[in-house]
Amino acid sequence: MRDQGGGETARSDLVLFAACILLALLALALPRPWAESLTNAIRRTALRPMVAAQSRAVADRTAREGLRAIEHTRDSLALLVQAFGATRRENDNLRALLDLRPRLTQPYLPAEILHQPAVTDDRMALLNVGAADGVHQFDPVVTGAGLVGYVWSTSPHSSAAYTWTHPEFRAAAVTANGSVTGLVSASPSTDASRTVLQLRGVALRDSLAVGTPVFTSGLGGVFPRGIPIGRVSAIERDQFGYERVYRITPYSHPALATHVLVLTTPRDSLFLPLPPSDSARKADSLRKVAGQRMLDSLRKATDSLKPKDSIP
Amino acid sequence: MSSVWTGEGPRRRRSSDKFRVGVVIGALLLLEFYLRPSLIEGRGMPDFLMLALLLLAIRQRPGTAAVIGFAVGLMVDVLTPARFGAGILAHVLVGWGAAWGRSVFFADNLLVTAGVFFIGTWARNLLVLLFSGTSPGRLLTELLIWSPLQGLTTAAVGVVIVMLFRDWLAIRMDQ
Repeated sequence: MRDQGGGETARSDLVLFAACILLALLALALPRPWAESLTNAIRRTALRPMVAAQSRAVADRTAREGLRAIEHTRDSLALLVQAFGATRRENDNLRALLDLRPRLTQPYLPAEILHQPAVTDDRMALLNVGAADGVHQFDPVVTGAGLVGYVWSTSPHSSAAYTWTHPEFRAAAVTANGSVTGLVSASPSTDASRTVLQLRGVALRDSLAVGTPVFTSGLGGVFPRGIPIGRVSAIERDQFGYERVYRITPYSHPALATHVLVLTTPRDSLFLPLPPSDSARKADSLRKVAGQRMLDSLRKATDSLKPKDSIP
Repeated sequence: MSSVWTGEGPRRRRSSDKFRVGVVIGALLLLEFYLRPSLIEGRGMPDFLMLALLLLAIRQRPGTAAVIGFAVGLMVDVLTPARFGAGILAHVLVGWGAAWGRSVFFADNLLVTAGVFFIGTWARNLLVLLFSGTSPGRLLTELLIWSPLQGLTTAAVGVVIVMLFRDWLAIRMDQ
């Protein structure tokens, strides 16, 4: 056993320890805006070299390991763009004919999540873009697969985003056909195998089938309508029996995401079209079949009305 | 019998010692903020900041270790601000605990030092999860799967660092 030194040094150790604990407790009790200002200030001054180094490291890794995938994606997108060009021109012409305003574009900023080895890393993502790049508080953060979260605080060259695993995360949600709405949040389920979402606030008269896709509804002014969130994977029981609760398996997990998009569109003017639901698709195909049949019968009728070949 | 120098006792700290320790800590920071993100990513990866804290803590008096824990915790909270203050509190407790435990209980053995790294990482994760508010299911998963994994990887890297820089860190092990 080691000699712990004199009583004086032991007392000074205790004083230092108590002071540190007191400061830590003060930090825990700090109001959120103050804590946010403090973290932003430290991030843009003392920790700026660290954030810059990590951002550079992620970019280097992407350049080294993700180059092949990026090339594949670029080639696929090139093909898609070729096919999309004609459709877009056609759509623009039709909009002009119907006197509709041009379709709203969706500006975004590509960003990278700087993962930390902290146990709460997936709750709050540190992004390598900040206010100087045009990021604002509450800008939605998405991947190609779906919703990740929203920007909570920004400093000039980095920002922190709440992800959907954060206990305070909420997003207004809607099903593809727009008939059922609710509120999505991280599930407090005791299912230890994985982190999932839950859809609450669904009226008892509404029911959803397992596998139904869920999107952001655009209510609340944070997320634009139409960002994919996930699929209904199970029905949960509301302990009070006032509402239906569904478990949602998300399309995108923040712990696995590295490259994300920060949507910088003014949220109140954006309305993404939801993809057609299965029933709408069926109705659409029925309409097409009915239209085709009608065309066929019209063609037959006109054929029958045509004068027969004259007999010489 | 060899012993671990904790900053007390007859040996006077020289400026070259501080420089060498500074080099090792600088290398750990480089590993944390450049090499790790450019090589590996995923859960359970080694925590070099935690390693730096524990390496410093076992050489220092408990009070100083608590202050170092405060600085490391502040850094962690700024980078992953799930709940500001949770990381600070956890790192202060772990830093102080490592220094105090090292001066009172721990033997000067490589395996025991690896154990300190493992338990320190695991305990830090437990405290952060508790202070930041976590659902029971998630807490269980983290404490039984991911935290032990991170503890193991951190301990493995820590053992390599101790073996490489044993003289620089003034850590002497029983052979």
